[in-house]
Amino acid sequence: MYCPLTSAKGAERSGFEVAGSFAESFALRGLATSRNGAELIVGYVARTLDAETEAEFRRHLELCCACREAVAAQQAVWSALDAWRAILVSPDFDNRLLRRIAQEERGGRWRPGWPQWRWRPAVPVAAACILLACAFLLQSPAPKLAEQAQARPKLEIEQVEHALDDIDLLRQLGVEAVSAKASPSAKI
Amino acid sequence: MTGHRMYAAAAQPSWNRGVKNDIAIASLERDAELMLRVRQGDQASFGLLLEKHRVPVVHFLYRMVRNKAVAEELAQEVFLRVYRSRDHYEPTAKFTTWLFRIATHLGLNCIRDGRNERFHNRLDNEASDGVCQQVPDRGQTVEQELVYRVKLREVRQAIESLPQKQRAAVMMHKYEELEYAQIADVLRCSESAVKSLLFRAYESLRTRLAHMA
Repeated sequence: MYCPLTSAKGAERSGFEVAGSFAESFALRGLATSRNGAELIVGYVARTLDAETEAEFRRHLELCCACREAVAAQQAVWSALDAWRAILVSPDFDNRLLRRIAQEERGGRWRPGWPQWRWRPAVPVAAACILLACAFLLQSPAPKLAEQAQARPKLEIEQVEHALDDIDLLRQLGVEAVSAKASPSAKI
Repeated sequence: MTGHRMYAAAAQPSWNRGVKNDIAIASLERDAELMLRVRQGDQASFGLLLEKHRVPVVHFLYRMVRNKAVAEELAQEVFLRVYRSRDHYEPTAKFTTWLFRIATHLGLNCIRDGRNERFHNRLDNEASDGVCQQVPDRGQTVEQELVYRVKLREVRQAIESLPQKQRAAVMMHKYEELEYAQIADVLRCSESAVKSLLFRAYESLRTRLAHMA
């Protein structure tokens, strides 16, 4: 491969390397100070070079076989990649996304920032509730409960005693009635 | 919006705030402007952003993970993240750079986790995942279609053989036409590193696809 811009080095080199030397010569002429050969070739094929650099490089290509080959190879890759065309996006893509957003908006998902303002007032409220509950329990009349507990068996004993008395009374009355019924027959 | 900014906004008179916002928005690129409107609660602007970027994001992810269903699922996650971040959005970089940074992050994570492999249809199964799902090219003969399928398979295999970062860089450079600086921003590396990645990738592709020239 022969490149007039690099003929002084007289070496067989790849297109990118040759173009690199071309870029160096560009740099010497103050046209493209930071570009290397690969960037020039890729940029030329992708049509992203500025007009001045592109025109200069095109003039070089007319003279340099190695750079022409490198450009042709890059163009082949470029057009081969074009074969991978766009796919059809599902028609319900937007609807699915909007449904998910609506779901999040309804609060189905944790959102950063929420706990900061939701939990901060909740903590003192919960603490106040616990304090109130404790105070209520402490102030509740425990002795009265004990008295009630003691009073309940007393009442029950009295009731039992009354009931037993009643039974005795009824038993006595019953005996008298039975004896009263039995006496006339005995007389007969 | 941060608490400090909310206070600052609240302290301004409403007419002044509106004028200042309009001036700020006018100086920004269109996408960033739309995103700022989304931040202000304008749902229609989100619809416009979705309309504009839906297809490139799905395509980018599809070429990364090679599965349409997974690519769409990831694209949904990308737009959800954009929507969720609306309150904290600052137009410090190009909107597309931010968008593709999210997409690349999700795509690379997906490949790393092997999630795409679980759903992955074989490369030679074009009937389910290849040509049929692409935008149809009307007017092709059967022979042309067959040649095209073979070519597509080779291209896909060549791209698949690239390392993940090189693949992502090629996708952004070739198909999404992002600038070197934007790709560097997305991949969080220097511009020269991006160029190096790209040129190595194109060199590999050139070797693999040389017979197609």
